[in-house]
Amino acid sequence: MSENILSVKGVHKSFGGVHALKGVDLTIKKGEVHCLAGENGCGKSTIIKVISGVHKPDSGEVELNGKKYTSITPSEAIEAGVQIIYQDFSVFPNLTVMENLAINKALASKKKFINKKEFRRIAEEAVNKINFKVDLDALVEDLPVADKQLIAISRALLADAKLIIMDEPTTTLTKTEVKRLFEIIEDLKEQGVTILFVSHKLDEVYEICDSITIFRNGENVLSCQVSEMDDEKFAYYMTGRKFDSQNIKQNAKAGDSILEVKNLSAPGFDNVNFNLRKGEVLGISGQLGSGRTELSLALFGLLKPYEGSIVVDGKEVNITSPAKAQELGIALVPEDRLTEGLFLSQSIKRNINVTKLDELSSKLGVMNITALTDESKGWVKNIGVKTKDHEYPVQTLSGGNQQKVVLARWLATNPNVLILNAPTVGVDIGAKHDIHTLLRNLANEGRGIIVVSDDVKELVDVCDRVMVMQQGKIINEIASGDLNADMLSQYI
Amino acid sequence: MNSLTTKKLKKSLVSTEFFVLVLIVLLAVFIEMQSGLFFTNNNLVDLLRSMIVPSIFALCAYLGFISTGPDVSFPLIAALSSYIATQFVVITGFQGSIAIVFLVAIAVGLVLGSINGFIIAKYNFPSLIVTLGTSTIFSGILLGAFEASRMELPATMADFGRQSLLAVTNAKAGIGSSLPMTFLIFVGLYIIVYFVLNHTMAGRGVFAVGGDETSAERAGFNVKLIRFGVFTVSGAIAAIAGVCYTVESLYYLPTEFAGEEMIVIAAVILGGTRLMGGVGTLKGTILGTLLITIVTNSLILVGIPVYWQKFFIGAIIIIGTAISVIQSHNLFKSKKSKDSKGLQNSEVVINETAQKQ
Ligand SMILES: Nc1ncnc2c1ncn2[C@@H]1O[C@H](COP(=O)(O)OP(=O)(O)O)[C@@H](O)[C@H]1O
Ligand SMILES: [Mg+2]
Repeated sequence: MSENILSVKGVHKSFGGVHALKGVDLTIKKGEVHCLAGENGCGKSTIIKVISGVHKPDSGEVELNGKKYTSITPSEAIEAGVQIIYQDFSVFPNLTVMENLAINKALASKKKFINKKEFRRIAEEAVNKINFKVDLDALVEDLPVADKQLIAISRALLADAKLIIMDEPTTTLTKTEVKRLFEIIEDLKEQGVTILFVSHKLDEVYEICDSITIFRNGENVLSCQVSEMDDEKFAYYMTGRKFDSQNIKQNAKAGDSILEVKNLSAPGFDNVNFNLRKGEVLGISGQLGSGRTELSLALFGLLKPYEGSIVVDGKEVNITSPAKAQELGIALVPEDRLTEGLFLSQSIKRNINVTKLDELSSKLGVMNITALTDESKGWVKNIGVKTKDHEYPVQTLSGGNQQKVVLARWLATNPNVLILNAPTVGVDIGAKHDIHTLLRNLANEGRGIIVVSDDVKELVDVCDRVMVMQQGKIINEIASGDLNADMLSQYI
Repeated sequence: MNSLTTKKLKKSLVSTEFFVLVLIVLLAVFIEMQSGLFFTNNNLVDLLRSMIVPSIFALCAYLGFISTGPDVSFPLIAALSSYIATQFVVITGFQGSIAIVFLVAIAVGLVLGSINGFIIAKYNFPSLIVTLGTSTIFSGILLGAFEASRMELPATMADFGRQSLLAVTNAKAGIGSSLPMTFLIFVGLYIIVYFVLNHTMAGRGVFAVGGDETSAERAGFNVKLIRFGVFTVSGAIAAIAGVCYTVESLYYLPTEFAGEEMIVIAAVILGGTRLMGGVGTLKGTILGTLLITIVTNSLILVGIPVYWQKFFIGAIIIIGTAISVIQSHNLFKSKKSKDSKGLQNSEVVINETAQKQ
């Protein structure tokens, strides 16, 4: 018996002109939690699909449990104990939890008729494996994302999984849900199940994984124990670039006050005071429900304060609507780029220009195409959106680059105060660093910037000071000199 | 236990079927109060009679929606297959069992349906476009190649059409109504379809494919075969509806069928079947069809002229759709708050305002 459950050697895979895998190796020991990391588009999902038999490799071999396959079929992979938790979980939203859990097994055993009692028994067996409490008769579409994932996991266990591959399982989960997932992974490990955990978040890797393989551009660039890993190494191997997060704050210089908030209260927060100065990046942090989001909404005219005042550029103002906020030079970049603001099937150019249409059109509403093109080209270049052409639809971009387009759109309105809500959620390291650098540069040009985030590293890297909110109140303010990850974590 | 029953109660209270049922009751009571003629034996039998063919057609529309998407070809499949079955009897002078006539129509329906199924499953084309195309072709074959026109029915078929399961006479008005044998076919078909959809793996596969195609494929369902099967079977069901319609009317008229699809689809959607697939019940389908049938059949009892019926049908469709939209909206809200991300609602506002600007 080999001690490796999986050993992939020299796998190549191309899709048309895209060489997605360029001879990668991947070895996983029995019983370990192995992390596969890499930036978006580096081939993580592709290698998973090769292992599970969905894609046939152009060359190379897959060895599972000591058995070699040049091209494995999906059913061979399942027989060998490989189960995938896909990014979309592969559940049936329109069916009950019970059916979702039992249907694969019933199908595998070639049953022709449905036996409800049998289904219920299978489903109960499945959820009990991970101690998952759920109403078996609920429709899956009515469940939160985390529960859908747990359904996928318990379903995988039913099929006698020996190797469970989770493709970016934490991207859509809240912190508590991630914690629960990790407990389950620990538990599975104890039961002797091997896990391949795909992620590009280092803190998760530290917490849960034993060893790690990093892919870059379809090649494996590093395999080692997690204990030999550190932040810098991780970022370097992921991106092939060296980052200096200290450096981006170098030219920080705060000027006059640009936005002052006095005794502001609204539904969700209470008696908030702060002063944002030109050239400053202010962080607002706190847990979900601490009032941080409401505060940003109030500053953009989306939530009506019932007390207190807002002073912009020395004048007391009443921000009654987003249009009014924009007039005052305030812009808000919303949290979820996918559902809030990007037109995915439309071109990058259109997405960038959507806030500028009035300005760049004649009085009759005819668009000035040249001006629009110039505008968008300028932004694509300025903030480094990685694309061949700004006429490409936004959905062809990676998450980080989509986020840059959202930023560009709001920057195009030339705001003096820029509020960003969780600006780099789901964005990988390289693009994250780019966005942080961009924010610092914007501040250096004399803008005031507010970053609402619960990403401790982000706050430390980019902010001059951080206000921590709890239950609608500011409970602490940490200034630049004292800012470090350990002390911030205490509060969040 | 108690909370479970209230939960169930709540669920049924908000279900679309329940709303349709309420509408039906209200409409029935309204007609009864205005005319005193709704709850009479002959009106009720008339209603059942008028429901038979639309309900069978509704199965075709329903199967299309839950597995794939809209199917608009069933009226012409019905027209073409019942034409060929009738011609078969006329030309051969066939005098045997009516079952054979149905089997001939079913065979034709299976072939026509399999054409839909083949194109949709193999090439993954949108079902609306494909069925629109094939139904135009079927219509061309029927009226062009076959030069079909009005036909009196041969005796075998007409006799079957005249047989009645139940005949009633309204003592007061002296009007009689009868329920044709085709009623049994309608009931039988619903029982079979119900059983297959709910108690066989193939039936659950139909819902699985309609719910999430990729998941179905990964689970090991043969997605293409299921789609092909659904449209083929739907062709057979349409053919049965076609023969039922023909024998009920005692003559064959090729132009009677086209246009039926809109009202049937409206009834199915009204009954809570989702346009995007995977969701819908036979109960809702029946209720939707019943509601539409009452509107077309019984409004006349309160002296509402025929052309106003269309107005009412349109209004009911819009109201019905509005109800389901509002419901899914509520569901959306409660789901979001369940995720304890109460803020997302306010953030949706940002999105909307951002788009307006
Ligand atoms: N089915 C496909 N057809 C064409 N290109 C694909 C396909 N699947 C993946 N790719 C390309 O292969 C590369 C690797 O993709 P993927 O494995 O999904 O990356 P990730 O590491 O983000 O999971 C990307 O450039 C992607 O566009
Ligand atoms: Mg991926």
